[in-house]
Amino acid sequence: MFKKIIAASTAKSPWIYHINTGSCNGCDIELVAVLTPRYDAERFGFKLAGTPRHADIVVVSGPITSQSKDRLIRTLEQVPEPKVVVSIGSCPKSGNVFKGSYSVEAPLDKYCKVDVSIAGCTPKPEAIIEGLYKAAQILKEKREAMNK
Amino acid sequence: MIPFLKVALTNLFSKPSTVKYPYVPVEAKPRYRGRIAYDGDKCVNCGMCVKVCSPGAINRIYKDTEDGQDITYEFDHTSCTFCGMCQDFCDEGAITLTTDYHMVATDPEDLIVRGVCHKVNPKGNISCNTDLCVYCTLCAKKCPSGAITVDRAAKTWTVNIGKCTKCGACIKTCPKKAVYFAEPKPQVVVCGDDCVYCTLCAKKCPEEAITVDRAAKTWSFDASKCVQCGKCVAACPKKTLSFADGE
Repeated sequence: MFKKIIAASTAKSPWIYHINTGSCNGCDIELVAVLTPRYDAERFGFKLAGTPRHADIVVVSGPITSQSKDRLIRTLEQVPEPKVVVSIGSCPKSGNVFKGSYSVEAPLDKYCKVDVSIAGCTPKPEAIIEGLYKAAQILKEKREAMNK
Repeated sequence: MIPFLKVALTNLFSKPSTVKYPYVPVEAKPRYRGRIAYDGDKCVNCGMCVKVCSPGAINRIYKDTEDGQDITYEFDHTSCTFCGMCQDFCDEGAITLTTDYHMVATDPEDLIVRGVCHKVNPKGNISCNTDLCVYCTLCAKKCPSGAITVDRAAKTWTVNIGKCTKCGACIKTCPKKAVYFAEPKPQVVVCGDDCVYCTLCAKKCPEEAITVDRAAKTWSFDASKCVQCGKCVAACPKKTLSFADGE
């Protein structure tokens, strides 16, 4: 019974951890806008977590610069399973206009499995809400599979 | 004190400013640049979009078909910056950035828009192999535009190139398989006497096949680079550029 209560409550509060891996700040601003009262992602229980150890969903923005690569891998390792990785914008998936640069280590798929990718440069806040909502559903499925 | 109270009271009784997005659909603004829509029928495969795309999100795959080539255009939205340059540079209006912003996918394949542009190989002029021809006049009878004249007595076969629409009806009907399309002559762009050396044609050319020197008043053309998209001919303000049979 105790497990059921935990499962029901965690499903309704997926916590987000946001990593900026050298992004231009466009996607980061839009992600923050999603959490403001205007778009209010907290309606669905999304909340920015202060540390990766508290997070369920990791949101990655930016083209993964060489400087941030090691930090990204270390952060991803700290996130407890089940975790869902969401990429925002074109940068983490391909490197966008920075691809081919000596200091860019995109794509993100090299380091972990990307569950949801939100395209756009930058994506509209509505699209980010859609992506996070999808991520929460995947998280729920993953947790159910783990608890079986 | 009073103004603050006024704001507090109005806020107390006003509706929340939250956009109720997933429950109430939200349309993007009319000029929003979202998912790319590609119309292969309008495309002339000039390659300008590929050239102006800064992240290299557009890819072309060539496949030979019976009467030409199928060129599959791939627009990768995981690479796109949605700058709209491809749309601006497409003279044919084959590329449009729609207001569709719902680009969320678990499979990256869903974020690739594909379209096929079909390019028909140019056909040469109708010709007849007189060694095989028996002057049966079947081809002349079948020709819908009356371009072929066959004289049975004089044993002559002539075609009026101006009338011929290259439909191929004569080739299908010939019992001796003597009628055929000749090898097409390569098309080149030629510049007439009215040229004012405005360099517009050179600017429009996606392959940089045309070079114009304004000071020296020279116009030169590189046939090996030309993709025969016709942009230069359309752009010429003096209408002096035209296609012609090359060597």
